[in-house]
Amino acid sequence: MKNNPKDLALDGLIRQNPTFKLVLGTCPTLALTTAAINGVGMGLAVTFVLMCSNMIISLLRNVIPSKVRIPAYILIIATFVTIVRMFLNKFAPSIATAMGPYLPLIVVNCIILGRAEAFASKNPVVDSILDGLFMGLGFMIALTLMGVFREVLGAGTVFGVKLWNFKIEFFTHASGALFTYALFIALFVYFYGLYSKKSKRKALLADKKEVKA
Amino acid sequence: MQKLIISNTPHIKSKSSTKRIMIDVLIALVPATVMGVVYFGLYALLLVALSILSCIASEVIYLLIRGEKFKDILNKFDFTSAVTGLLLGLNLPANCPWYIPLLGGVFAVIVVKMLFGGTGKNFVNPAIAARVFLLISFAEAMTTWAVPSVGAIKTSTVATGATALGSVIKGERVISNLDLFLGTGVSSGALGETCKIALIVGYVYLLIRKVVDYKPLIYIGVTGLMTVVLQGSFSAFLPSVLSGGLMLGAIFMATDYVTTPNTTVGNIVYFVALGLLTALLRHLKGTEVVSYCILLMNFFVPLIDRFIVPKPFGYQKPKKEAKNG
Repeated sequence: MKNNPKDLALDGLIRQNPTFKLVLGTCPTLALTTAAINGVGMGLAVTFVLMCSNMIISLLRNVIPSKVRIPAYILIIATFVTIVRMFLNKFAPSIATAMGPYLPLIVVNCIILGRAEAFASKNPVVDSILDGLFMGLGFMIALTLMGVFREVLGAGTVFGVKLWNFKIEFFTHASGALFTYALFIALFVYFYGLYSKKSKRKALLADKKEVKA
Repeated sequence: MQKLIISNTPHIKSKSSTKRIMIDVLIALVPATVMGVVYFGLYALLLVALSILSCIASEVIYLLIRGEKFKDILNKFDFTSAVTGLLLGLNLPANCPWYIPLLGGVFAVIVVKMLFGGTGKNFVNPAIAARVFLLISFAEAMTTWAVPSVGAIKTSTVATGATALGSVIKGERVISNLDLFLGTGVSSGALGETCKIALIVGYVYLLIRKVVDYKPLIYIGVTGLMTVVLQGSFSAFLPSVLSGGLMLGAIFMATDYVTTPNTTVGNIVYFVALGLLTALLRHLKGTEVVSYCILLMNFFVPLIDRFIVPKPFGYQKPKKEAKNG
């Protein structure tokens, strides 16, 4: 199986976007999007862990016995999560406290385990690293967009910069998180539908031209 | 010679329609609105008008975006969004900022109603959901109640005070029952909920027009009785029934056709549960909870409908087989 980097990028960012299309890793999505900066931090942390764990798991894919693969994956993932946690505690303690329990919980994040099981355990190293990168970026972009939306409406700020005094506190509560998530998924599905229709039509046209030629 | 008309069933049609019922509800709410304006001033009228306008405009704009023609929308318009807007307006404090009814109307109609499929498809009562949304969003502005000023209509800002219910729950008799009933004195509250007599007039009108029946009384009665049980004295009955948004909620919002069970038994279960919940939560929290209770029970309506199903006409229970040996 040969993977095209462009396909990997499109899969991670749009076609199989982990947040909006696969609906994985919903706990941090709902809990950490109260501020845009938390979304960016969480996204970067997950991207790093995902790239590293995908790389190691892909390297070891012929060594790990399939009966104990899940504990082995968890062990590998936990190693990198610990590294990220120590790094953040040392250099960005404010972000580490803002993320609270969700930072160590990256270990059981469905996206990371899902990509390990579905991709890294079957594909070569470079592809797995790229997949980890783009999946992580897709997650980060989704979280940042939701974070900006909720921060602007709920607190009147963007990345901590004050815009105005007007606040709709609903969006900083848990109910606002679920509402925002549903809204974003609905919009994503709508625009994705438009996009896939267009690309299908293009493919059809291309097919017809080939037939004529 | 007369033409023979062949048509599908039903052949006997009633004049009752969504539009007619909604206009009846609007008429029934007129006394409460008028009393609200008399007590709280012209700004209250502005709030109600803004709320209604916001609801109707949201519905029309949503349908226009969906690609419907303006003429069709006008023909189909059935006043449900006007009722939603009016109820939302009556649920607001009389001195809240102008953007609150605007936002509430948009939330009520677009999020709660239109996104779920329009009139008759809303999963909870739109006005209640919007009120809870506003309560969460603007906690301070939504709980600063104005004290009514009887007499000449005032246009200036009115004084603010604690809600009547808070003191009633604590067992302090600050306000007489008559004041609570008429909405005079220091009995403060949302725009349309202070004057109970106006709400009762609206209820009687709806009863005569057969839009609602006796069931809101179950809600009100059970709340009062449960409060008596919780506080241990019969003098708690009248204040608990007459204060807060209980009457407005019971008569006009809990009875929304879309969000009540289909069967009589189911309805009784629904209203009794509402009453128990309201009294209990009021007792525990010390604040007004009617809107939260209605919202919560609206979620249970599909569950009630699932377990309490009407018996088909002529249905007989299958006889139990005789035990062998």
